[in-house]
Amino acid sequence: MSAVANAAAAKRSGPDAVTIGGWALLAVVGVVLLIAPAIFDSYWVSQILTQALWLGIAAVSLTFLNRYGGMVSLAQVAIYGVAGFAMANVVHTLNSEGGLNLGWTPWLGVAFGIGVAVLVGLLFGAIASRSYGIYFLMITLALSLFVFYFFGQVTQLSGFGGVRSVSRPGLVGDTITHPTPLYYVCLGCSVAVYALLRYVVRTPFGVALQGVRDDPERMRSLGYNVPLHRTLAFTLGAFVAAIAGILSVWFDTQISPGSIDITQTIAVLIIAVIGGLSRLEGAWLGAIAYAVINYYARQHTPTLGLWLNPGRFATIIGIVFLLIVLLSPDGLIGIGGKIRRAIGRRYGGGGARPAESEEAGAGEQAEVPAAAGTPASGTRGGLNQRRA
Amino acid sequence: MAVAAERTETAEPILRLRGVGRRFGGLQAVDGVDLEIRPGERRALLGPNGAGKTTLFNLIAGEFPPTAGTIELFGEDVTETPARLRARLGMARTYQQSRVFVGLSVEDNIYLSVLGVQTGHVFPLRSAKRDAPLRAKARAAAAEVGLGGRLDSLVGELSHGERRQLAIGMARAAEPRLMMLDEPAAGLSRGERQILTELLLALPSDVTLLLIEHDMDVALRVAQWVTMMHDGRVVAEGTPAEIRANQTVHDLYLGSRYYDE
Ligand SMILES: Nc1ncnc2c1ncn2[C@@H]1O[C@H](COP(=O)(O)OP(=O)(O)OP(=O)(O)O)[C@@H](O)[C@H]1O
Ligand SMILES: [Mg+2]
Repeated sequence: MSAVANAAAAKRSGPDAVTIGGWALLAVVGVVLLIAPAIFDSYWVSQILTQALWLGIAAVSLTFLNRYGGMVSLAQVAIYGVAGFAMANVVHTLNSEGGLNLGWTPWLGVAFGIGVAVLVGLLFGAIASRSYGIYFLMITLALSLFVFYFFGQVTQLSGFGGVRSVSRPGLVGDTITHPTPLYYVCLGCSVAVYALLRYVVRTPFGVALQGVRDDPERMRSLGYNVPLHRTLAFTLGAFVAAIAGILSVWFDTQISPGSIDITQTIAVLIIAVIGGLSRLEGAWLGAIAYAVINYYARQHTPTLGLWLNPGRFATIIGIVFLLIVLLSPDGLIGIGGKIRRAIGRRYGGGGARPAESEEAGAGEQAEVPAAAGTPASGTRGGLNQRRA
Repeated sequence: MAVAAERTETAEPILRLRGVGRRFGGLQAVDGVDLEIRPGERRALLGPNGAGKTTLFNLIAGEFPPTAGTIELFGEDVTETPARLRARLGMARTYQQSRVFVGLSVEDNIYLSVLGVQTGHVFPLRSAKRDAPLRAKARAAAAEVGLGGRLDSLVGELSHGERRQLAIGMARAAEPRLMMLDEPAAGLSRGERQILTELLLALPSDVTLLLIEHDMDVALRVAQWVTMMHDGRVVAEGTPAEIRANQTVHDLYLGSRYYDE
């Protein structure tokens, strides 16, 4: 490795540091999101942005577990369903439409829902923590199906076709007539979850978790209790998913077994993958893309003989996802990296963009395109495959 | 080195194997091994390919249990003790194929080694204040093995030699009483071997070293006592000089690539 590349590598603090350019981009996105209700119409705010924010939280629980723990979990939707059902059952539901309708206050319901989901996450995590790779995937899939059928069959808890008109705290209000408060709640939760996860991965626990991801047996021989680490990480993922579950109930005003079926499980997996598994931000990027593509495909799918018609919008969605993943194994995050590298190559010779040269270290402009590429995507793209 | 004189027969052994065996299906990889290692001793474990040296390491480290015999570490019977608890008793090892965390920086790799033997390391929100001395220890260990300038480099970007250095740094950083190195010189250049040998010779005298090494130069310079294995059994034991003169050892190594080196 050349001395120049060494200097570049030494400059950055860890594989997933946010660069100056990254912070600038984050700031712009932040401002746009803050004033979104003023610039977008209420349909967009509600159906695209709000939905993308809570779906992003669900997906980031998966991205986190994969990126930092090497675990591909298909149980995230089931866990958010547990949170949603737990809350929906204990709070007041108008006209007693399904569920236990215990009449608790909405905030008490939130605490209960998240608490139950975290406990279930702890249990599921303990069950799956000794499995790796495809076996881990299968166990979490089985747990997810178990939850789905549980709520499908125990109609005392799920009503017939769901618990409807779940009461919401005054802060959220009526999401149909006034979608803006829920939008800001989802935005606030997204920021909090993002900050929490970024903090956690730099704590001793987070570093150890990444060690477990890279080589669990080596961690064991260093003195770590590997299953315990994986269980705790899974529980943290459950906590994040539970937040998404609460928001989803407020967003839909109801929850039914259909909201947590296998289709939804796969949707959240797709969101995480098309967004890019190498960075946490990818989850929300994927969720936005998912919501937008979903919306436009339903509206504008053309008719092409027998092949395509507006009823087959799912075909379009599938093709777009396929294209994204084919173009870039690391999803939209990876495409972003490619664009940044292309820009760096274009302008790298004469004057590198400030952000790029910052990342590569001063005075190494000739090396900028090579050194300044996405730090993480090279090694960490795609699903982590662990030996079983 | 003067350490040879410290091999006192009276000291309690730090590691004691009694009739240890391990069978893999039809293959007896380790067979009735008795071994005693005293505190501060530098012991080399030699033997041709497939002799069972690495398997013996795995048994001592607790990767898998022996099919026969007992293992005592620091005076405790650890035959049934899981690997992670043995590490916490004060034992660290390296692997024949470097096993490092490729997605983490050099500092984080060594830090994990330091952290692993701390009590309460699993607590997710350990304060950064309690963490600072561990980080400092990790950086010091990195400097000791010559990686002080590469603290923030991703381990996936390190060369083979640097990964070997890192593996030893990780073993050192845990401040073990017993350090076991599996062929640390394999794949290193002549210059790198020299550095490695010096590093091993400079270990504090209270660290016990068990070393598997095909490179006779490294092994016989560092070790005061040599155990020779063949087909899973210990076939000779003695000082480096005795081993050099031993006929069995000659028969085993004669003409082999190791002897030429
Ligand atoms: N996990 C295992 N399963 C089955 N057989 C094994 C296993 N580990 C080792 N063996 C076999 O046990 C024998 C001893 O292997 P071991 O790795 O201990 O030898 P070694 O002395 O370390 O050799 P080398 O110098 O090549 O590293 C070999 O025949 C090997 O194939
Ligand atoms: Mg070996």
